[in-house]
Amino acid sequence: MLKWLSGVFIALLLNGCAKEPLYQEQLFTFGTLVNISIWGEDEAVARHAVDELAHDFDVMHRDWHAWHPGPLVSLNEQLLARQEAVVPPELLPLMQQSLALYQASGGLFDPAIGRLLQLWGFEADVPPAGPPPADAAVQALLARRPTLGDVELHDNVVRSSNPNIWLDFGAVAKGYGVDKAVDRLRALGIRNAIVVAGGDLKVVGARGDRPWRIGVRHPRGSDILASLNASSGECILTSGDYERYYEFEGQRYHHVLDPRSGYPARGAVSATVIHNSAATADAAATALLVAGPQQWYATARAMGIKYVMLVDQAGTVHMNPAMARRIHFEVDPLPRIELSDEL
Amino acid sequence: MNYKRGDILVMIMALSLVAALFATLWGDSRRGEEVRILAGDKQLALVSLSGHREIRVDGPLGTSTLEIDNGRIRFADSPCANKVCVHDGWASRGGEVVACLPNRVSVAILGGEYRFDAINF
Repeated sequence: MLKWLSGVFIALLLNGCAKEPLYQEQLFTFGTLVNISIWGEDEAVARHAVDELAHDFDVMHRDWHAWHPGPLVSLNEQLLARQEAVVPPELLPLMQQSLALYQASGGLFDPAIGRLLQLWGFEADVPPAGPPPADAAVQALLARRPTLGDVELHDNVVRSSNPNIWLDFGAVAKGYGVDKAVDRLRALGIRNAIVVAGGDLKVVGARGDRPWRIGVRHPRGSDILASLNASSGECILTSGDYERYYEFEGQRYHHVLDPRSGYPARGAVSATVIHNSAATADAAATALLVAGPQQWYATARAMGIKYVMLVDQAGTVHMNPAMARRIHFEVDPLPRIELSDEL
Repeated sequence: MNYKRGDILVMIMALSLVAALFATLWGDSRRGEEVRILAGDKQLALVSLSGHREIRVDGPLGTSTLEIDNGRIRFADSPCANKVCVHDGWASRGGEVVACLPNRVSVAILGGEYRFDAINF
């Protein structure tokens, strides 16, 4: 009896001590907090991979920043002065993808509205405290119609017909950076991982014998609204009015600006997208938040997005049926749900 | 009734086994055990979540105050403008991360059964 009990004890102790092969790191880089989880690798291998990513993210942050001195600021200044510039190789793929995503979104994702972001103060690292800009200033800038449609790219030469554009890839760069980080992990032989940059994430492989399980934050409060399992290669990105905002005289002003009105997008409070390209998902989440409850479906179709969950200002969750089949709500009572046709 | 030493040992171990099984099967296995505190890109400390104490962490904006309270942790105060970290409240479950981006301080809870492997927002 005593021996049997001792055996149970030792088994319990061993079970308690068994360490999961999960390596996790947080990095302050890329203008945000990056979380990296690697499953099933030696700690030394995982640590080396994270060191590589930390370096990559630092380089991407420097190369793609629209307001700190670097290649993108230099490109913007050349466009402003001569309206023509050679796009450096570190910016070319981002520029090419952004042009395609701008077209597909019908202009709702528009990285040429940097001046508008600056007018609202959202270009700064620290969110502004208000007040919002004068309407006359917004309308004056809007009247000059700065859009990516004014930009032409031939090979690596970019031309702009509008001196009011300022390229800020903030609505796509985080996703694109996550894509590149995951490519790097795969090249380093990592088979199971999640890379999360400021909430935007992409998964590779699985966590042992089960898929990676992802919680989607509630757009109001810090609870989890819903959860889902992510398959290898999938990205989950959300654009919301709660990420960067300020309140002035009871009104919330957030950082996702509607290029048509010059004001923060109204109607939706968050838009979540699943896609295999994080860059596409990032731009689409922005475009869908701008499109709002009335236009999200048409925008998703135009951008080739197959999974969408959009929360409107009343808290109603709009989804396509394929997304609804994957979502497990974590709130009680359930929100009001409106299903669209299949995408 | 006289117990021999071996009997008492068996009884103690049996009671301990019940306690251990209770903790394993009925306890909140999702609760984390330790918290990793990061200042800038450096791990500042790996500390237990047990007991009650305050930890002060210096960042570029000033001092963030973390509060540990019997298995949970929160930003009690931070010198950032929007206080998002303070409003996030308590974190207790394995895998949860709370951060003050402007002051470059973050806490990540380790151990426990992860409810989610990552949070999308």
